[in-house]
Amino acid sequence: MAQTIQHEISPFLDPGPRTKANSLAILQLSRDNLLPVYLQPPTGEVDGYAEGAVVNTRYGSFPHSTMIDVPWGSQIRASKVDTGSRGRKRKREATTDVEGVSREGTAAGATNEQDNEASVTANNSGSATPASVAPTVKQAIADTSGFIHILPPTPEVWTSSLPHRTQVVYTPDYSYILHRIRARPGTVLIEAGAGSGSFTHAAVRAVYNGYPREGEKRRRGKVYSFEYHEERYHKMKQEIKDHGLTGLVQLTHRDVYKGGFLVDEGKSPEADAVFLDLPAPWEALPHLSRRKPRGFDVGEEGKKWVSPLNPKKSVYLCTFSPCIEQVQKTVSMMRRLGWVDIDMVEIANRKYHASRDRVGLHLNFDRGVNNSPKDVEEALKRLTEIEERTRQHAARAREGGDGDVEMESGDEGDVAVKLEDTAAEQPQESSSSSVAPWLEGRLITRGEPEIKTHTSYLVFAVLPREWTEEDEAAAAAMYPLGKEQKVIGAVDKQLRKQERREQLQQKSGGNSRKERRKQRDEKIGQECAPMAEES
Amino acid sequence: MTSCIKPNAWVALKLPSGTTKVLQVTPNTTISLGKYGCFPSNLIIGRPYHVTFELQDRLPGENFSRLRVVPASELYEEVFAEEEATESSSAPAVTGGSNTTSACDTVITSTDGEEFSLVDEKGNVVVRSTREVLDDRARQTLTQAEIEELKKKGSNAGKDVIAKLLLSHTALNEKTSFSLAKYKLLKTKKYIRRFQVLPLDVANFATWQLEERDASKIMDLRAEMLGLVGCWANVHYGGEDVYLEDPKARTDQGEEALVPLEKDRLRGRWLVVDDTGGLLVAAMAERMGILYPLEEEEGESKPEATTSIPTEQTPTATSQQPPKDTDTEMTDAQILSSKPEKKPKQPKPRPSDFAIPYSQSNTLTVIHSASQPNLSFLTYWGFDATSPNHPPHPLLNHLLTLTWLQLLKPELDTSYSTPPLTATQETLNSWKPSRRGNFHRKRRRFARIRHIVDATRAGGFNGLVCASTMDPISILKHTLPLLAGGAPVAIYSPTIEPLAALADCFSVPRRTAWTSGSVPEVQGLSAAELERWEGNERFPLNPTLLQGVSIQTSRARRWQVLPSRTHPLMTERGGADGYVFTAWRAKPAEGRVEAKGRFKKRKVECAEGSKAEVAGTPASSA
Repeated sequence: MAQTIQHEISPFLDPGPRTKANSLAILQLSRDNLLPVYLQPPTGEVDGYAEGAVVNTRYGSFPHSTMIDVPWGSQIRASKVDTGSRGRKRKREATTDVEGVSREGTAAGATNEQDNEASVTANNSGSATPASVAPTVKQAIADTSGFIHILPPTPEVWTSSLPHRTQVVYTPDYSYILHRIRARPGTVLIEAGAGSGSFTHAAVRAVYNGYPREGEKRRRGKVYSFEYHEERYHKMKQEIKDHGLTGLVQLTHRDVYKGGFLVDEGKSPEADAVFLDLPAPWEALPHLSRRKPRGFDVGEEGKKWVSPLNPKKSVYLCTFSPCIEQVQKTVSMMRRLGWVDIDMVEIANRKYHASRDRVGLHLNFDRGVNNSPKDVEEALKRLTEIEERTRQHAARAREGGDGDVEMESGDEGDVAVKLEDTAAEQPQESSSSSVAPWLEGRLITRGEPEIKTHTSYLVFAVLPREWTEEDEAAAAAMYPLGKEQKVIGAVDKQLRKQERREQLQQKSGGNSRKERRKQRDEKIGQECAPMAEES
Repeated sequence: MTSCIKPNAWVALKLPSGTTKVLQVTPNTTISLGKYGCFPSNLIIGRPYHVTFELQDRLPGENFSRLRVVPASELYEEVFAEEEATESSSAPAVTGGSNTTSACDTVITSTDGEEFSLVDEKGNVVVRSTREVLDDRARQTLTQAEIEELKKKGSNAGKDVIAKLLLSHTALNEKTSFSLAKYKLLKTKKYIRRFQVLPLDVANFATWQLEERDASKIMDLRAEMLGLVGCWANVHYGGEDVYLEDPKARTDQGEEALVPLEKDRLRGRWLVVDDTGGLLVAAMAERMGILYPLEEEEGESKPEATTSIPTEQTPTATSQQPPKDTDTEMTDAQILSSKPEKKPKQPKPRPSDFAIPYSQSNTLTVIHSASQPNLSFLTYWGFDATSPNHPPHPLLNHLLTLTWLQLLKPELDTSYSTPPLTATQETLNSWKPSRRGNFHRKRRRFARIRHIVDATRAGGFNGLVCASTMDPISILKHTLPLLAGGAPVAIYSPTIEPLAALADCFSVPRRTAWTSGSVPEVQGLSAAELERWEGNERFPLNPTLLQGVSIQTSRARRWQVLPSRTHPLMTERGGADGYVFTAWRAKPAEGRVEAKGRFKKRKVECAEGSKAEVAGTPASSA
């Protein structure tokens, strides 16, 4: 292939057809239980496992070797792994694996908090040199039961697998935000408050249009991310590197309230879109002005004001704040700084689960089955049956002669037993003659048991580009007035009638259909011509 | 998108009444905004988007209004005045005089606490509101005729009319601050002569179509849903353009000269089923960066064209300029006739008929149910799928369309299965130009359709996006085998029922019955056969082909944010909520796979149940 790939493309942007060693993969344990893992090539015994690195979950043990170079989405069978003897041996040996926080550690350590049932054995011991370990790797043997699926990383699965380090911007929010702030391939985006990185990943995917190349003039999509919290900054920095996003995300450790948004020593990122996930967005807003705002202590003393915004385009902005007081202050500041189209929304997302609502007397006594009558007819049928039996029983008792109280009560119990018998007999008959068990009952949808009723308020705004007298004069010279011929837009009746009259007059001069078509073609030609010129 | 309003661009004009007018700004025309007035289009061409323009009073001798850019400080002056008032009310003895930010306007402000007053240009309080409850009878003393008269000679962009109306309202000083603000807003909407020009991108177009045009045409696809579908289907820029080499097929060569399909080069491809008239395709194309022409490239390509074209005789590089898709009868003739006129420039080597104009990466493949795709909304972005001689557009090389017939039964499709025409160069030369053009056009079409159908049937797509009126089960039946492992699926539906039925195909009991190996129909089938299993009543789809099935909906609730009047909007658009089905394509392991854990016991029961039922079927049918 003649393609010049300078960077290894991030697995988030192009995972390729199969899983790769030393790359991120997401293990789907169950529907909503996702586990990020960096797959390690089998180099020898790791952490006491003869198979190399192993992921242990409640669904079985999965050596990395069974998950490398398989198609994405593959179902992976659990393997028979000796977890018992290893643990004891390991405890005695455990000495130096504190050092060297490997990539595996970051992903795995975090998930332990999230799901304590899934314990991940990480290769923390960078000290274990391959030379000391036998190079032979034990071939994994498939277990009889247990499986997981292996998924390529996307911002969505990454977000759902994230531990709650800080407030996470979830998919319903970021999908809407990115749509509204026009984050598209080629957009330069400022993000302040990188936080857990969920928004960063989604933003990179949205603005990505190729990795930057040496000596290339073309401006490519990029995310300028700012984080104040030092620990989170380092974590994010490592994550960006591990995920192959270097060159697409530029992370800066800074307090943007004071330091603003300039990068590379006073250069403007020329952003087209801004996302602020900060506790006090109004303190950062003055930095995002086209001219030095009066009355604010921003920019460097004595230096020329450099705006971090793209001078040639309208800039879209979104702030993300959980409290209404924050919103009010932010909106007030936006108005003062000249932002327009200010719009505040809140996103309510709900998940639904489709299932079968199984109600009926004839159904199996299975879990989730309601063994009560499914309709009035069924209830009526059962009541009639009971009534019939009681009557028969009463008649029998009367025939028997002496009506003993104790006897009667005993017989009633008998009836009940008989009824139950018939109820138990029925299911076998019906299920063998009618539908499959997964087709029984009515299909229903039910909301998830717990819903997020509030995440944050989103405030959107637009800052149009500056328009000076000179610009106006230049535009006026380029597009002079006085040649207006037609009226477009809302044309009232009178005007339309007049136009029509003029048209008819023209036509009465012997215009045929041919000529009209010619006119139309000319018009289309005029419209198409500038388009062709442009591109 | 673009930095300023270009000639002939489609734009959305936002009027004070809240309505949007979508039109193409043709140079040298007059744009009429109905009751708000009219102005020449040349006054907005070349100007920036999003600024607020005000129609000024007509100058003597001109029959149109000139425009003025309204600064933001003026747009918000009432809010600022209110804010200042609330601040100053805590610090007493500040009169309303300082509240006016602009000296020439009559402004409603509140001077103390929540009360409002009407201040004239010198800052004197003209009317003051009290907290008395207002009764609803109209007490406007101006008659309709008088208002019309005012409007006609109305100056100051309608602001005078509004002030007069307020002053003439007898009960104005009885209004509470809230009703006064509302009254003012109502009148402002009606009379102020301002507007804003917005770029007609996907978001603005969708909002306009949904709220002001026919929402059913776009299947009530709201912005939240567009965002969700795009994100869950992981649609993004799919890599640099890669073009197949020109096979340099001679005109007497047939099928054998076609470019062979190279599966390894197919990357970053998404499948789309779109019944929203092209909105979904536009939204996805926007996410992939193939909806708008690149501005930077525009600037670069112009000087290039004027200087010199690199005369490459052997175009071996894979990622070079796409072969021009000239599909007209007259191309030969045009080239011949244009030759003597222009300077003796080296003509660009024309691609042969079998050159594939489509990129192998970063493409959208649209499967449509009619013989032509309905992508009419793409005309707003300068793309017409039916135009034979299209000016350059990124979608030309990245949008592939085919019918369900071509996908599923290509041998029945005439344009796919009819072998291409062949003729020797001598015969060709003896033909009329029009006949020759037709000959080339047909051969080109054949090569294109062959490529699209074969590439689509080769599968390996990176995702599926769907907003269709067709049953999603039937769509998935035929598209699931085409998806690469781990590829996401995102299906939009205005109502939840079709998606619930789809999700039910992947329910746990159904999946368990399938994997327990008790389904006689699929015994002994290979993995590939199972992927393309045609389904039956009890298993419409192979339930192991999707993982992480989920249905969700999202709704944005809008708020009004004003000083001490912040609350959610009272009414919003109702109608279809819109739901999104998401899942990932799984590659099931071969053979019987059992789950581990506490579910085991139940599963055995289930399997037995289905066995019993299977055993019973022949008996009941007999």
